[in-house]
Amino acid sequence: MGYDDSDRRGGPARPAPAAVKFLIAGGFGVGKTTMVASVSEVEPLRTEEYLTVASVGVDDIAGVGDKDTTTVAMDFGRITVSPELVVYLFGTPGQERFWFMWDDLVHGALGAVVIADTRRLDTSFGSIDFFENRGIPFVVGVNSFDGCQDRTVPEIREALDLDPHVPVLVGDLRQRSASRDVLLALVDYLETAAF
Amino acid sequence: MPTSHWADEPLDDDPEDSFVRPYTITHGRTVSARGDLTLITIIVALTPPEEQFAARGLEPEHRAILEQCRRPVALAEIAARLDLPVAVTKILVGDLITLGTVAARPPVALAVGQRPDIGLLQAVRDGLRRL
Repeated sequence: MGYDDSDRRGGPARPAPAAVKFLIAGGFGVGKTTMVASVSEVEPLRTEEYLTVASVGVDDIAGVGDKDTTTVAMDFGRITVSPELVVYLFGTPGQERFWFMWDDLVHGALGAVVIADTRRLDTSFGSIDFFENRGIPFVVGVNSFDGCQDRTVPEIREALDLDPHVPVLVGDLRQRSASRDVLLALVDYLETAAF
Repeated sequence: MPTSHWADEPLDDDPEDSFVRPYTITHGRTVSARGDLTLITIIVALTPPEEQFAARGLEPEHRAILEQCRRPVALAEIAARLDLPVAVTKILVGDLITLGTVAARPPVALAVGQRPDIGLLQAVRDGLRRL
């Protein structure tokens, strides 16, 4: 892959790397940007996307008013693996109901991490449903701030109604080592092809 | 390190500032003619930007994009660093591709339900272990 004309005049200064991404999902305030920041080689960047969504029951005169535009924002970071490969980490915006109309979200996505907060496990349901429906492999990272952990992994697994093979990890995702271990577990899971 | 989760918060969205003006830059175009550009499509300048600034019809934003992609960079990074919406960035990058001043590399193709290439996974693992 890459550009074989890079040494010709008019070729790129250097070949472009291949890119993949991981999606970092979960409910509001659960620590998505924090996890992105913990492993990214750059300060998390923020980008905005306008999505056109069908709206039902609005005054529909000659095709005007049957579409709405909503704005979604994502924080993302980068890990340069090598000159040939870059991994992006995208913190997904919370509005899961819009994700189905947003093919670019999953383009090039190897897999996802659903961050769960044991006090508000229901906020993870939307992400889990989406990834299950789209066939995107995911692991669950339970964010334990300050080592606070009030529910066992089997309890969490049952509350989230997870398939038995979906890995669940517990850690303080503000820490680079904990976030890295969750991503490594996701890579291991991808390799097993158990999904 | 950010102390809040601001991607989740309502956007401070001044339509005059963040919506109308970007589409003025694109001369009213709201959709890229190129449907193949993605958030992580890697963009790289084909010649040094200073050699391209003489090109006619370039908006200042086109020139800023050329500056950004002296080294390979994802389209989302260009959008973020120039504070442009992704849709607008796609249109402007598409212009530059048409002009032949930048090249685009699509993300690694991944098939739903299939195991990714083992070599790719091993490279990602090695990269993560170095963190």
